[in-house]
Amino acid sequence: MDKQCRTVEVTVLSAENLRLDRKSVKKNTYVVVRADPLNSRSTTADFEGGSSPSWNEKLTLDMPFQTRFISLEVKCRTGSGDRVIGTASLPVSDILGDYTPESHLHFLSYRLRDARGGRNGIINVSVRVKMPVESVCPPATKNPVGYGCSSSWQQPTLGVPVGHRKNYYGGVVTGVPVWI
Amino acid sequence: MNLFLLPYDVFILLKYALQLSLSASNLLDRDITSKSDPMVVLFAKKRDGKLEEVGRTEVILNNLNPTWIQKITISYQFEVVQPLVFQIYDVDTSYHNKPVKSLKLEDQDFLGEASCVLSEIVTRHNHTLTIQLQNRNGHGILRKLGALTVHAEETIASRTAVEITLRCYQLANKDLFSLSDPFLRISRMVEGGGYVPICKTEVVNNNLNPVWRPLCLSMQQFGSKENPLVIECFDFNSSGNHVLIGKLQKSVADLETLHREKNGANFVIQTSHGHEKVLKGQLFVDLFLEKEQYSFLDYVSSGFELNFMVAVDFTASNGNPRNPDSLHYIDPSGQLNSYQQAIMEVGQVIQFYDSDRRFPAWGFGGKTPAGTISHCFNLNGSASFEVEGVEGIMAAYASALHNISLSGPTLFGPVINTAAQIAGQSLSNNNSKYFVLLIITDGVITDMQETKDALVRASDLPLSILIVGVGGADFTQMEILDADNGQRLQSSTGRMATRDIVQFVPMREVNSGQISVVQALLEELPGQFLTYFRSRDIKPHARHVC
Repeated sequence: MDKQCRTVEVTVLSAENLRLDRKSVKKNTYVVVRADPLNSRSTTADFEGGSSPSWNEKLTLDMPFQTRFISLEVKCRTGSGDRVIGTASLPVSDILGDYTPESHLHFLSYRLRDARGGRNGIINVSVRVKMPVESVCPPATKNPVGYGCSSSWQQPTLGVPVGHRKNYYGGVVTGVPVWI
Repeated sequence: MNLFLLPYDVFILLKYALQLSLSASNLLDRDITSKSDPMVVLFAKKRDGKLEEVGRTEVILNNLNPTWIQKITISYQFEVVQPLVFQIYDVDTSYHNKPVKSLKLEDQDFLGEASCVLSEIVTRHNHTLTIQLQNRNGHGILRKLGALTVHAEETIASRTAVEITLRCYQLANKDLFSLSDPFLRISRMVEGGGYVPICKTEVVNNNLNPVWRPLCLSMQQFGSKENPLVIECFDFNSSGNHVLIGKLQKSVADLETLHREKNGANFVIQTSHGHEKVLKGQLFVDLFLEKEQYSFLDYVSSGFELNFMVAVDFTASNGNPRNPDSLHYIDPSGQLNSYQQAIMEVGQVIQFYDSDRRFPAWGFGGKTPAGTISHCFNLNGSASFEVEGVEGIMAAYASALHNISLSGPTLFGPVINTAAQIAGQSLSNNNSKYFVLLIITDGVITDMQETKDALVRASDLPLSILIVGVGGADFTQMEILDADNGQRLQSSTGRMATRDIVQFVPMREVNSGQISVVQALLEELPGQFLTYFRSRDIKPHARHVC
């Protein structure tokens, strides 16, 4: 059974220089954010923004413990259906496990690539990880049993002491260990 | 405020006009029949040591604890150290009815003098500083001369800003196979009649009726609401040769009127015959919002700090330090080498904004006494990477030259990652520190992609990086890091830099102004600082905002 240990707030801010079929996109773009193969959230469509739309929309998603990437997909509603303009992958290591505190508001931007792998603009988001819910998640230093998508998967204890703040290098990483 | 709504390379001029209010206590009594009649004269000490008068208060009669009403206006510049000298004079009765400006100081009785640096005043809580008065030139204190209290206040202009949304209608088409890609550039008139750009919009592709994202202009950028601004509309060309579609001249007050009356203003263009032709294309102001925003000094006086960090290049290309040709040669006559100059000029300005004056100092590209080449070693050779004061950096640098053998290659990655780690970890403790890393190097880096990766990762942290290139190398490649051409840095994993946090300047660039090349690097720091905190809606600590 899935137990999500974290929620993440992704505010989809804007995108730049979107092109479809070698022309600048005119309108009706929206973004689909996915942290888990089964769940996704979408923004509303920007009707006027053209090739550099802005949405400023906050989407809240559950992020399973073993998620490695959050995918960002920019799509366009055209007369002939919804087309993918470009996608980007937001590695969870960019928001967790770097030097910042867990609740830090990250402003991030990624290169979008189209279906053929070519560059197609940039997407700008801000992301904040919400503190894990106590009742669902075990304390960081204990060995959690049976969490995650597959029941045979176990998260090993990484044994990292949390809370040792003042070290500048050669020191210990702070924050909740994430299995990446 | 949405960080990404800003054009990536917005110009922010940050010169604050400050008003100084003065009061004094226990002044010397010079008069026989009554008390002294004091007046304060403020001087700025120039680089050559000469004093230049900035302004004077009025004369207060018969008072040894005066509070002057007349404020003295001075322009605060972040990027230079501004030494001030306050002199108090007892004005003789015979001059009491004369205008204060006409009084000759040599005819008055000197009561005492106080010196400080302007940034000392503005970094205090409540922007107030009390200084003991001394004899001229600080020559001993023969008797108690009293104290002077200086309080600095920003003028209203510093905090006012306007947010405007501009739109155009029926612009001329300048492209051959598609439509124009318009963007606007707004410039402000300066003394001497020239125009200086103050901001640019983003480019809207292929559109003759573009709507741009909201622009935020602070009063420091546009001067006053009546100051004429020139708004030019260009057709963007990737070659850099943008074609002018049209221009018009409007003040901020005019734009407010356009918004209120929902009118459009026509663009004009100079014809080849020399006169102006009115075009069909029009500018509309869809949104006009006046607002207050906190200034850099609001943050700084409420406890926000700038933390200075330094990294020095110890690669072999600098030349053997014992050799007078070496960039690391320490001249016994006391003349500073390029490294020392850069450290002094940046350190001396920033030190006032750092409360504990403990600065991380590293070297890179050198071989430590242990025999290993390190790309991030403590400059003072000990386990502690911090030194005290700018003097501490200079001492650690000089001693490192004896202990470290120059090696290579030139890598920035480790130093930037270490600085970023410090900046990131400080966020756990508090949200009010901003870090400034100064890297001084003589060569071009060999780890361009790793450096870009480190910079992209650092771009979301409260960190700015100043890079000074010394010596004669060709630094063109380094200018890519500066991203002034609007190209955001991209990491090897596809992540783009959130902000442009790097500034690079080669030291040998000729400068003829009063600010050195290195100090010009500092001009953009307050803007980068503000962008970081404002985008996260982090306000100055409420208790201390005056």
